[in-house]
Amino acid sequence: MLRKYSNHRTQSDNVKLGALTAFSAGMVNVASVTVFFAFTSNITGYYAVLAQEISKGNWYQGAVVLLWVTLFFLGSFLSNFVIIQGKGRWSQYISHAIPVILELLSILFVGIYLEFFYQNSLKETEILVGALLFAMGLQNGLTASISNSVVKTTHLTGLTTDLAILVSMFSKRENRHNKALVDKFHLLLSIMMSYVAGGLFGGVGYLYLQNGVFYLTCAILLIIALYDFYKIGRIRRIFERRKKEVLVQVH
Amino acid sequence: MNRDVLVKLNYLLVAILLVGASLVIRHAENPERLIQGEWIEKEWRLEKDNATVVEESQMQSELKREILRNVEELHLGIWKFEEDGSLTSASSTQNDAIEWFIKGRGHVLELRREGKTIESFQIQQISKTKLVLHLNFDLQVKGIIEIVLERKEQSDQYAKKI
Repeated sequence: MLRKYSNHRTQSDNVKLGALTAFSAGMVNVASVTVFFAFTSNITGYYAVLAQEISKGNWYQGAVVLLWVTLFFLGSFLSNFVIIQGKGRWSQYISHAIPVILELLSILFVGIYLEFFYQNSLKETEILVGALLFAMGLQNGLTASISNSVVKTTHLTGLTTDLAILVSMFSKRENRHNKALVDKFHLLLSIMMSYVAGGLFGGVGYLYLQNGVFYLTCAILLIIALYDFYKIGRIRRIFERRKKEVLVQVH
Repeated sequence: MNRDVLVKLNYLLVAILLVGASLVIRHAENPERLIQGEWIEKEWRLEKDNATVVEESQMQSELKREILRNVEELHLGIWKFEEDGSLTSASSTQNDAIEWFIKGRGHVLELRREGKTIESFQIQQISKTKLVLHLNFDLQVKGIIEIVLERKEQSDQYAKKI
């Protein structure tokens, strides 16, 4: 899911990564709206809100939105920075797993803070929403970067546009048999459905688990980060077993 | 311009945005501080597409009663936002019953009783003298109620003047 890069990625790699990250983003987004009354993954909306607040002369609110957008930017920047700077220094898998781990730590920080320290003040709200936007920036930066911008998990405006274009493309018979287009459609559809499912799960889950929703998101991210670790270990074990079998046959 | 310089300018711009936004947040008037004090209800406006003027005035008083059923202390029209996070009316007997919180980017006023949200308003405008709250309701009809409040000292000064 994480260790392959760009064109070396298979459709299955992209669907798994896209669906799981979109599910976690949907959960975080809805939980954040419930707790903080602020979205954490619609940057397009925040640009509009920024302009609106400035035009109304609400400098404080405008600055808060600007800070959140900048934190999302920093998350995406850091994600790609780790990936390109990590090349040659450590394995590709580690470079791709670091942004997921940083995202996990940001969300875990929010969950723990809410559980033990949160006093419901505006300042805390702003910082915690900022941490979640930073986490979403990390995630979007990672998925877009390693998949050659094929997977974007929180960019639902672009995704809906692409889906609409694909559906209209399928009005031509020859396109319905074009594997690349069909694969892209499946990928986008799985991301969209996972995002909505994550949102539903986040909303309903918050009623029962409260801040546990954030821990659950961390568990999903941990699966994403460790999936390839498990897979690499499994491949290594199979390889060693076969090597032994070959050696036994030779002797 | 040299590309290397342009890249450095990019980093500088991001740093300026980050520091600038943080400084404004630190020094600009915070809605959480601005809201503290006594506010007097001045106006209730109903924004609904398909109501006639007569219907609106009749509906207004009924809706007001229904909406404020959960916040009875505020029925007299005086909202007192205490520094400790409690919301009372000047004549209230049940102090600390309602808690107020500012959420989002400072654009949501949440009222809670015993930890449970009883109402959340959109802060449409907040200044030293005026507070405008919007409330989405879905009672007999869908619509928005605009509640205009004025700071008590401001109101008193105006009363003295006239």
